[in-house]
Amino acid sequence: MSSTMLPNRSKTSVLVFLLPPLLLYGIAVLFPIVQSLFLSFFSWDGITDLRFVGFDNYARMFVGDDVFWTAFSNSLGYLVICLVLQLGGALVVASLLISLRRGRELVKTLYLLPAVISTVAIAFLFQRIYSLEPTGLLNQLLQWVGLGELQQAWLSNVDTVLAAVSIPEGWRFTGLYMLIIYAALLAVPQELEEAARLDGANWWQVFTKIRFPYIRPVWITTTIIAATYALRGFDIPYLLTNGGPGQASELLTTYMYKTAFTHTDYGYASTISVFIVVECLIAVGLIILLLRRKADA
Amino acid sequence: MTHTRIRAAVVAAAAAVALVLSGCAGGGSAGTDPGDVDPAGEITPREISWLLSRPADGGVITAMQQIADEYAADHPGFSLNLITTPDRPSYIQKYETLAAANKLPELFDTDATPFARKLADQGRMIDAEKLLKSLDLYDDYRPAALNYQRFDDGSLYMIPFEFQLEFFWYNTALFEQAGVQVPESLDDFPAMCTALRAAGVTPIALDGQDQWPLERYMAYHPFRTAGPEYVQELKKGDAKFADPDGQAAVDWLHSLGEAGCFAQGFSSTGYADAQALFTSGKAAVYNIGTWELGNLATENLDPAVRDDIDYFTLPLTPDAVTAANEYVTPSGIGMAVNAKTFDPLVRDFLAFALKRYPEVYAATGALSPTSNVETTIPDNATPLYERAVEQANDVGEQIAMPWDTQLDPTSNTRLQQELTLLVQGESTPDEFIDTMDSTIAQNGPAAFE
Repeated sequence: MSSTMLPNRSKTSVLVFLLPPLLLYGIAVLFPIVQSLFLSFFSWDGITDLRFVGFDNYARMFVGDDVFWTAFSNSLGYLVICLVLQLGGALVVASLLISLRRGRELVKTLYLLPAVISTVAIAFLFQRIYSLEPTGLLNQLLQWVGLGELQQAWLSNVDTVLAAVSIPEGWRFTGLYMLIIYAALLAVPQELEEAARLDGANWWQVFTKIRFPYIRPVWITTTIIAATYALRGFDIPYLLTNGGPGQASELLTTYMYKTAFTHTDYGYASTISVFIVVECLIAVGLIILLLRRKADA
Repeated sequence: MTHTRIRAAVVAAAAAVALVLSGCAGGGSAGTDPGDVDPAGEITPREISWLLSRPADGGVITAMQQIADEYAADHPGFSLNLITTPDRPSYIQKYETLAAANKLPELFDTDATPFARKLADQGRMIDAEKLLKSLDLYDDYRPAALNYQRFDDGSLYMIPFEFQLEFFWYNTALFEQAGVQVPESLDDFPAMCTALRAAGVTPIALDGQDQWPLERYMAYHPFRTAGPEYVQELKKGDAKFADPDGQAAVDWLHSLGEAGCFAQGFSSTGYADAQALFTSGKAAVYNIGTWELGNLATENLDPAVRDDIDYFTLPLTPDAVTAANEYVTPSGIGMAVNAKTFDPLVRDFLAFALKRYPEVYAATGALSPTSNVETTIPDNATPLYERAVEQANDVGEQIAMPWDTQLDPTSNTRLQQELTLLVQGESTPDEFIDTMDSTIAQNGPAAFE
């Protein structure tokens, strides 16, 4: 295979170029995962000796820990909100951008801006936006449009807090995914679309029959990136609410972090991290499976 | 090809396991004998570090920096590297991670937590009582300041650098407006809140984001009805929230929530915002320590409320077992001395610094952990400042310990979360008691075995 693809290059030169990144990947990614897997069978507080506990940590995680399951379902909620905002938002904005004749660069930059602002700044920004006392932007807006009775402390209400911490993350990266999808949409051949329109296809038909199938490979990649990012989401919920009130915005990642670095229960934290790795792998597998099957159908 | 790949994978996995094992084994090694507070040898000046969790421009750091400079003048080559992380949760993570890696510097801050207890048991911290006695400084310290640093068995491994009294600051004008008096009993709090709410005033300003301020309220009621022993037994699972004293405390907190005592959205209100609610005259009560004297009892305070600010100490309950002059009087996070790096230089510097410290620190207007100096009252202080400082001389023996330094960390996190839900009315007292008793039963006994 390689000899047909790379007729003039030897296997050695390929290896020379592939090995350093592979090694780096091994040290930075695979090794910690193996280490977590190893630690997940122990009880360890960091300063006393490791104690082998077999599958105790796993048993505790699956049957003995209500916070874990709360965090897991919160993580799924967080994932859904982020994906809808990031992918849905990105697709809508990119499609509109394509039809825009002037000022494309400006709009693109504006949408991309939040992705380059530091997370801490974004967390502080949203803390102000959601605030009730003193009145923040969101509550002020509600007042202005006559929905004053909806005013509330968005980050203190257990019913709104999960959405409130997910939205900044979704909003933040919409621009980034918009850019990727926009680039893919640009590559859709104009002749095809024009031919379809001449045949009487409406906007929706053009989108579903021509544009979307064309960008599907990019869409799969984008979905995988966005999903794994959202499953690993940590910083904004951690900074905004630290998982509270109660466990209403606790994600698996913030829970794992607390278990490791606040509770110094490194063994159990490793067990949770193994779960996160497996969860990410399953999510990626599912996405590929679903989108491939659709493509085949 | 496949064989090589499998073999390579096996080798890699074995190497990984070996690395993990070697990485984890470094934990429990001790250095010098923690009881040897006067090691023999020459004093060789070098840089020493203090990993601490105090405000960067605060009195402790300013004073210690000045003292270190004075010491360095006589000992060329010496310097004190102060590495501060004022945010306490971040600090604890940093310190515990460094402890796990066996990389703690010469001096480091810690409360008398279960984790610190383990470090002491492993001989990784110098016995502070022996050290202070051998430096002839032990008797200078306020007993309350030392007691705050002790472990439950009375042993002392941390040296205090502050002495604080925690008060309920209140706005007399708002109290008058609502027609309420200073509560005589903790049980008067709900009625006080209801009256203040009726007058359109936020009853109590609370920094809910940092969790510990609400946890103080958890500590108050049982400290009055059962004394300081309650939390010591509770944390090991020997006492329960379901016991009458615990039940009363939980019901009290629940009633505070029902009476709307705390500002709406308190759980996401930060330290500065909570204080601003009080200093701008919007909230009537604010529970904070004398470390805020500079903001609450000087001309820094907004003139509009300056003359209306007063304070009261933790009220009693009808059947209180602790005295009115016993409340939360912490001596701040303590400083531990690393046994592994303790040498004649560290001892000599501490001898110089700890002797000099009270004078330098008290000159900044703060309360010294020792009783051999007078606090300088700042020029711009209101009369309240002096009263608060004098109050420190009339502090009883028993201390209401902040619970966040007492419970095992897992139970503590859960308690902080559940408290918010209880006060917000998201959970009932019974649910709270069930959850907390089972969490402590699961984690407490193991942490204090």
